[in-house]
Amino acid sequence: MNSLFNTVYAWANQRLDLDDMLRFARKKTVPEHRHSAWYYWGGVTLFFFLVQAISGVLLLLYYRPGPDAYESVRQITYDIHFGWLIRSTHAWAANLMLVSIFVHMFSVFFMKAYRCPREFGWWSGIGLLMMAMVFGFSGYLMPMNELAYFATKVGLEIPASMPIIGPVMADLVRGGLEVNEFTVHRFFALHVVVLPALFVPLLGFHLWLVQKHGNALPPSEEALPVAQRRSIPFFPNFIMKDMAMWLIALNVLAVLAAMFPWDLGAAADPLKPAPRGIHPEWYFMSQFQVLKVFGNWLPGAAGEILGLVWFSLGMLLWSFIPLYDPTRENGRRGRRATYFGLLALVILILTTAWGYWAIHIETQPATAAAPAKLSGVPNTVNLVLTDRKTDMIPVRKDSASILSAHETPGWKPVVHDRQDAYPPVKTIVLSVAPTPEAVNPK
Amino acid sequence: MNYPFWDVPHIGSGWVIGLIAIFHIMISHFAVGGGFYLPLAERKALREGREDWLQTLRTHSKFFLILTGVFGTVSGVGIWFAIGLANPEGTSTLIHNFVFGWAIEWVLFMVELSTAVVYYYTWGRISNELHLKVGYVYAGASFLTLVIINGILGFMMMPGESWLAVAGTGQEASRFWQAFFNPTYWPSLLLRSAVCVSLAGIWALVTCSRIDGEAKPRLKTELVRWSAKWLIPSFVVMPFILGWYLWTVPESQRALLQLGMTTIGTGAFTQVTRVALIMVLSSATVVGVVYFLAWRLPLSFGRAHALAVLFLGLVVTAAGEYSREMLRKPYVIGRHMYSNGVRTSEVAKFNRDGYLPNSPWLRENATELEQGQCMFRGQCKACHTADAYRSMKGLLAGRDREAISRLLAILHDAKPDSPYKAFMPPLVGTAGEITALGDYLFILVSPPGQDTKK
Repeated sequence: MNSLFNTVYAWANQRLDLDDMLRFARKKTVPEHRHSAWYYWGGVTLFFFLVQAISGVLLLLYYRPGPDAYESVRQITYDIHFGWLIRSTHAWAANLMLVSIFVHMFSVFFMKAYRCPREFGWWSGIGLLMMAMVFGFSGYLMPMNELAYFATKVGLEIPASMPIIGPVMADLVRGGLEVNEFTVHRFFALHVVVLPALFVPLLGFHLWLVQKHGNALPPSEEALPVAQRRSIPFFPNFIMKDMAMWLIALNVLAVLAAMFPWDLGAAADPLKPAPRGIHPEWYFMSQFQVLKVFGNWLPGAAGEILGLVWFSLGMLLWSFIPLYDPTRENGRRGRRATYFGLLALVILILTTAWGYWAIHIETQPATAAAPAKLSGVPNTVNLVLTDRKTDMIPVRKDSASILSAHETPGWKPVVHDRQDAYPPVKTIVLSVAPTPEAVNPK
Repeated sequence: MNYPFWDVPHIGSGWVIGLIAIFHIMISHFAVGGGFYLPLAERKALREGREDWLQTLRTHSKFFLILTGVFGTVSGVGIWFAIGLANPEGTSTLIHNFVFGWAIEWVLFMVELSTAVVYYYTWGRISNELHLKVGYVYAGASFLTLVIINGILGFMMMPGESWLAVAGTGQEASRFWQAFFNPTYWPSLLLRSAVCVSLAGIWALVTCSRIDGEAKPRLKTELVRWSAKWLIPSFVVMPFILGWYLWTVPESQRALLQLGMTTIGTGAFTQVTRVALIMVLSSATVVGVVYFLAWRLPLSFGRAHALAVLFLGLVVTAAGEYSREMLRKPYVIGRHMYSNGVRTSEVAKFNRDGYLPNSPWLRENATELEQGQCMFRGQCKACHTADAYRSMKGLLAGRDREAISRLLAILHDAKPDSPYKAFMPPLVGTAGEITALGDYLFILVSPPGQDTKK
């Protein structure tokens, strides 16, 4: 086995000069100190991006953008072997990638790794974060379910509120005045062609900069005499630890994807009112809440515009921090930059938590009223037809509450309300007139 | 139903057993694997004259004694309390059928615990040869405890045709050996032995991580790598043993594993597939992480790394135990007793004469709702809670009284094509009792005051 490996290695080495690369990797070192654990987050982010790319390609095998979007995702989730796993992995990896980007960004900020000569590393990282968020936003609409539809609708109202260019931009992205199948097509093109085409080169540039400048020392370590600084070889020591981190990250991802598989929910219905408490994904929650607060303070578009100005200004200040705090010395400016970072972190966490709390409050009455919703006779009924092996209709992930053909002898109609939670394989919607009791319940 | 019902709100009694059992298995399997690790490492150290190894092993044996002798034994007794309360009918069957087996097990426990104490307290006080022999006695006794308990645990999965032929006749103990060496006995024993060896290595890495690599680089490198090697056997043989084990498990139980491959659509029923996937992946992760962090970088292998490996081992153990338990569904003792304590042979009798007349826990002149509650406690609460884990409120949400009746009828009829049959015991009782249960469940899901049609 060894001799075979050696033969293959020698063959490749002759052509690619692998020894030279290994020599370089062994010569390169990574600082070792009490903050070293933060160095691994960039690698973890890269790992989740690779998972995204692979699982995304697998989803492309079955996903059909346009009018079939929901049906194709339903097949992936409920019919195709391990389709649910690939979809859950893709969705969870997206969230975990953003978590690791945020951790990586704040660790870089507090270790002052944006200072000269690493400014472009910082800016390219900010660019990657922005693109990752757009990846998330565009990917969220792909299943075209109720939540995705209304969240996208609400999300696109933010740029639409900008004066003059806002409405034009929103129409361009939507492919019309409303979110529809053309929006899915446009988001799909953005998600699988445009963004990767921009993201991958920028990622390459970012990694090249990391390679060129090496890992930055935090100010506390930089203050130490050179003789007291410790480091480990990039290869094999750092790489081995990085691989272990990747494995642990894979395990975390697997546990989340398997134990909390991504649900599908009901198909989007533009004629239905938006569900209460509709909100964007967690990484947009801070901005969403800021806009809501400003919108409440100032009536009309003024509030939203002020909100947009607020976080645009914050983002600009955040991006240009290398220009404000450029020197290696950790002087007064450096301390101010640290306070600014802490303030940004606190605002981000507080406004996100505030946003979720507001939604929790907003949805409370709806939850209490839910059982009453079933009391009336619905004005539409669905005939549920399923030929699934298990003879069951898909249900929520936490539920074994199954309505099956067994419970509906003679294909007895199942009330429409249930279909929100249990999307059927195929439904025939019949309209029936509401009974007098339903109109005037006693 | 002959025993009082143990109501554990929110998590259910099953999770009480589960939490104690996962903790216990991490330690008890270490007690077996570590029993071999210590004398084999000591033998190597004595042969090579490595005093530094012996010092570390002494530290490790103290850790071993405290962990297995205190936490292992306490959690073991805890399991007895928990299973006795959660499933007294099943526990009663195990006690009556394996009296002799339990007696042997407890004798072996005594030998195991005594030799563990002697082993630690006689370091440097008796000859090396005698000390090593004490270690071997410990290893033998602890392995035999596994040999015995494995037969009893395997019996619960699949008692075997011979025992089932006499089940309920009062002659069950006459088929002791057939029940003991049940169809899953040998693959299960090998599987558990492999886990023991792995856990010996994983726990030893915790001790090794505390060695100062800068002061004692040779010792740390050697011991970390020697401990890491203990994961190799299970890495190599585990896939084959798992395959063998699954091959011996009844087809109906294997089918439970397959449902979740295609869909997440059937809720809790597909969890077993997903948890089994975690078990496989986490096992591979443990080996990978040990290779990268311990084998390749032994000197920098620190406490955080060891704890990460230990935590991953805990994930594997938890996932493995959960999968094994779920594979038994809908039985607690395969094809003999359902998970709610109802024996398969009693189903027809309860349907004809009623379930509640056999329960001493229902007062005379009980209201219909009290009867329903008694049915719920006796037949549902072994696996479901009212409001949290496998919550009835969640699972039945949105159903009106008629829908609940139809569901109960499906559970009662338990026809061969019923989707619930593979996972849930049949609902037993007379029509009146089932109506009482339906009323109780309806009140539970839609308390009075809510505007819900009955």
